[in-house]
Amino acid sequence: MKQPQASTGNDSDLLLVERTRAGDQRAYELLVIKYQRRIQRLIRRMVRDVDLVDDIAQETFIRAYRALHQYRGEAQFYTWLYRIAVNTAKKFLLEFKHDPMARQVSLSVNDEEDETSARLNEPISDETPESILAAKEIATAVNAAMSALPDDLRQAVTLREIEGLTYEEIAAVMDCPIGTVRSRIFRAREAISAKVKPMLEHQSGKRW
Amino acid sequence: MNDMNPKNLDDNEKISALVDGQLSDDDATQAMQALALDDQALARWHAYHLVGDVLRSQELSWGCAKDVDFLTRLRSRLSDESTCAVPVVEHATPEMTVHSSAYPKEAANDASLRWRWATGLASLALFVALGWGMLAGMLASPPPVQLAQPPLPVVPSQASMASDTTDAVLIRDPRLDQLLQAHRQFGGASALQIPSGFVRNATFDRPSQ
Repeated sequence: MKQPQASTGNDSDLLLVERTRAGDQRAYELLVIKYQRRIQRLIRRMVRDVDLVDDIAQETFIRAYRALHQYRGEAQFYTWLYRIAVNTAKKFLLEFKHDPMARQVSLSVNDEEDETSARLNEPISDETPESILAAKEIATAVNAAMSALPDDLRQAVTLREIEGLTYEEIAAVMDCPIGTVRSRIFRAREAISAKVKPMLEHQSGKRW
Repeated sequence: MNDMNPKNLDDNEKISALVDGQLSDDDATQAMQALALDDQALARWHAYHLVGDVLRSQELSWGCAKDVDFLTRLRSRLSDESTCAVPVVEHATPEMTVHSSAYPKEAANDASLRWRWATGLASLALFVALGWGMLAGMLASPPPVQLAQPPLPVVPSQASMASDTTDAVLIRDPRLDQLLQAHRQFGGASALQIPSGFVRNATFDRPSQ
């Protein structure tokens, strides 16, 4: 039986890369918004100082921007970005190893680049009770909003976000038109976002 | 991009479909234009991705309240960068190398420059090879100035030549032989029938080397 192929959204990534190359900086910002959390999580596994995590993530995206003309689209954009993030983090770690003032603060015990490895037991420097609570609140709100969705919306968004199916595959699974799938996923996202966005604005004190 | 062909898609619904990469090129372009102009559309793009991330891993909710600050900071850094507008080279292998320098560009005459480099390197190699050969010849030991005649070969004397061919040379006096012949009764004979008598033959042995 043929396994359904997960759509990664790499097509839209390519489109955004091409627009960035054409001089549209906003297109690059869309890529940053899409991948920054995964990149930050990757770097958090390599270094412990959260301020350094953000610095390395910034540097990663800057370097990726400079090297964007080298991206050919043969690999997924995140795979390409992942390598840049790992190299940037290693470079930072190397520099900090030679800096006696900094080495006590930010060196990682685990500088392996396995994104799926277990998290370090020791808390990172900025992992305050408030930040932990804020993250839990967001996760709880997302899960609660998901649970409150009608079955068809929840199933559609689950098949898309967790199972990674394409609209066509979801339409086959749910036995409905592709347009209906698109609409259900959109409405599910809107419902969940409606719960999350006020919390984000409250936590950050800023709006987009 | 999958063919969706939506006729009257809401812009927000297009953004949702763009998140999934499920829009036609035209609709994707429209959605991107909306995202470029409208900050609320940008907030929607962020929220949709955040929801997906958190559904896949709750760990990704950590620090998401700072996403706006992160983007603001990056935006200011990006404004200092040169525009990332370079034609895409087809059929090239993906590069994972990160250049820390600002945006490298290839020269328009890159191919001819490569040939110039090759020619120059080949000339340099030839020059070095020839120079090395000459230098090696000069450094080799020159013919020594002859300050004295080489010693002439030693011509051995007759006696020593005899000594060379035989271990011992008999030095005999013919008059003594005649005398011994005449007075054989006074002379002895050795086992080799050589008269020995009262006068012993003298032999010369060259000292062994």
